[in-house]
Amino acid sequence: MNKSLRSKLAIAASLVLSVGLVATGLPSAQAASGLKPTAAQLSAWKDKEITYYFYNDSAQELETTKTQIAAFEKLTGAKVKLDVIPFTSLDTQLQARLAAGNAPDVARLNNPGFYQNDALPLETYLGKKYAAEFLKGSTLQVTHPTTKKLIGTPYDLSMNGPFINVDMFKKAGVAIPTAWNWTELVAAAKKVQAATKSEYAFAMDKSGHRMSTVFSQYGAFMVDKNKRNVLTSSKFRAEKALKLITDLYKADQAPRDLWIGTGTKYSSPTSVFLAEQTPVMFSGNWNLATFAKDAKFDFQVAPNPKELNGGGWPGGKFLMAFKASKTPDLAAYFLYFLSDADQMEQMCQNAFWIPTRNDLVAQGIKYPTRAADMAVFLKDTANTPAATYGIQSVPTLTGPIYNKLRDLMTEVMAGKITAKQAIAQQIAFIDAQLATLKK
Amino acid sequence: MPYVFIAPNMLIFLTFIIWPAIRGVYISFFDSIDGRNFDYVGTANYSSIFGDPTVASVARNTATYVVFYVIISTVLSLMFALVVNEQKFAKGFFRAILFLPVMLSPVVVGLIWNDVLDRKVGPLNALLEAAGGGSPGWMVEPKLGMIAVIFVGVWVHLGFYSIILLAGLQGIDKSLLEAAAMDGATRIQIIRLIILPLLKPTTLVIVILSTIHGFQSFDFIYTLTGGGPLGATTLIVQYIYDRAFQSPIQYGLGSAAGVILFLIIFAFTALNFLVGKKKNAL
Repeated sequence: MNKSLRSKLAIAASLVLSVGLVATGLPSAQAASGLKPTAAQLSAWKDKEITYYFYNDSAQELETTKTQIAAFEKLTGAKVKLDVIPFTSLDTQLQARLAAGNAPDVARLNNPGFYQNDALPLETYLGKKYAAEFLKGSTLQVTHPTTKKLIGTPYDLSMNGPFINVDMFKKAGVAIPTAWNWTELVAAAKKVQAATKSEYAFAMDKSGHRMSTVFSQYGAFMVDKNKRNVLTSSKFRAEKALKLITDLYKADQAPRDLWIGTGTKYSSPTSVFLAEQTPVMFSGNWNLATFAKDAKFDFQVAPNPKELNGGGWPGGKFLMAFKASKTPDLAAYFLYFLSDADQMEQMCQNAFWIPTRNDLVAQGIKYPTRAADMAVFLKDTANTPAATYGIQSVPTLTGPIYNKLRDLMTEVMAGKITAKQAIAQQIAFIDAQLATLKK
Repeated sequence: MPYVFIAPNMLIFLTFIIWPAIRGVYISFFDSIDGRNFDYVGTANYSSIFGDPTVASVARNTATYVVFYVIISTVLSLMFALVVNEQKFAKGFFRAILFLPVMLSPVVVGLIWNDVLDRKVGPLNALLEAAGGGSPGWMVEPKLGMIAVIFVGVWVHLGFYSIILLAGLQGIDKSLLEAAAMDGATRIQIIRLIILPLLKPTTLVIVILSTIHGFQSFDFIYTLTGGGPLGATTLIVQYIYDRAFQSPIQYGLGSAAGVILFLIIFAFTALNFLVGKKKNAL
């Protein structure tokens, strides 16, 4: 068993442990290393302002962040300017700001690979052992490819999975699933749609990342940890998975307009699920906060369908401080503060995040509400195959590879190409992208 | 002294228009994935654009959009200007209604029409269905997507063009119209033989402006269709945006496409101007 695989299994095992601890509800964690600012630092930081470039998936994330900023300001005497950016222009605006010499001090990011040469090396400010505070697999995308040093913190771990409208399932007389495969999921969703006369049976975020989950469940992967194109060897499984999802859209059993009619933009069927137009929505744990707040019906998280593999597809968000900061020590400390055990635990509890810190994973998060739903996500995290992390070996290519898959799915849904042709084109695209790394 | 008065405006113009334009041409000869590190690639970005198979469909979409947009906008704004010019009752109210879409943010316009044109729950299809017209997939069928985008584009700018033409109409000497009427000219004859020829310079302005607007259309289209379905409403500006800001980021390629767009607009504007000038001379 290789070292990387062992580390993934260690993560999985620790997450399984956390699921058990969620149920027992242990007290909240204390700050792990307890790094406190010195008197000299406090004096130097007083009234200094830093900018935090931030986006949020739910209102709870924003509110909790504001509370944490207030606590940071009280602790350090510094000021934090919060720049809230829409997710869709996160990278566009940050690229422009960096190019214009107007870099923020700290940013919450989805694609940290783009900024690896702009990032502040955290070791200088937070010590060599800081990286060890986080789950090993989760730091892959914020480890500099050449220096191998930590350049950011994994802020949360995300997990894909299906949300189901319990009221609609009950109304249709369909049993709430405790385990299922894709055939059963689709059959149940169609049965509920027919019985409740909902617009759709199924909905999924318009995302190659979400489709990768279905690929993984059918045993297909795109890039492995050695930066090799492995879709070639699993193309028949990928075709089957792609056909399953695109057939639902072609048959109008999933919101085709939301996928085909939004061009190259990201779109999420959150509003479709909230309007009870679909009984099943395939998304991720970040939506739990929004649904918990806005859903006027009973819903729950169902386990991921299991074909060859179970589990979901990992993702996450990251914090990064920038070299261009005028007060790099303050920026690094702000990042440290947001990523410490107390703040991360608070964020996990308020916004239904999955923690990335070893200490929190070990002792478990006591979610005040929706604990059963989070337990499903955590269990799926533990069941997620190690191969799903392979694509993270090419952090600058994940965006293009996922986007290409999304666009090819659009063409299949519209009947322009077949699933087989889409996978062949995806293989060629991955080859071309990987070739750029060798230049 | 006059130079002092125009200096502030020129300073802004040079800083925010001329300098970025020059810089854009310069960047078009480089490759950059982050806007900070640039590798000189000569004319490779231009070669890539002309070798990109999507460019042909983008060019076709842009040409279709511009041709229909310019013709429909010009004809409709002329009709509206004539009607509003004759309006006796609630003149100000109708002009305000006509101008209202111009004041809306294009992003908001795209979002509103996206809801209106929704295939399953949009009010337009609800009306069409009630009338037995079915539920067209405005956002799903490529041809319908282009029709929707042209319609919304015209809707947004119609008030602006109509107001310009209205100003032109009010500049026409009324005695000419009265003399024609006294000589027994019909309303149609007055419009065709007096108003339209006298309105030609203003109409030329509308054609030039709508051509420029047509080529530059992006914001409302991006929020309305995102360039879909299947790229059917991806025009040249979105092509530039996608290359420059969508993963994989290629600032040089985006800049090269921007330079090409500038040359196209410049050529069309010059052509319009020369044709208009020649006709006026005749």
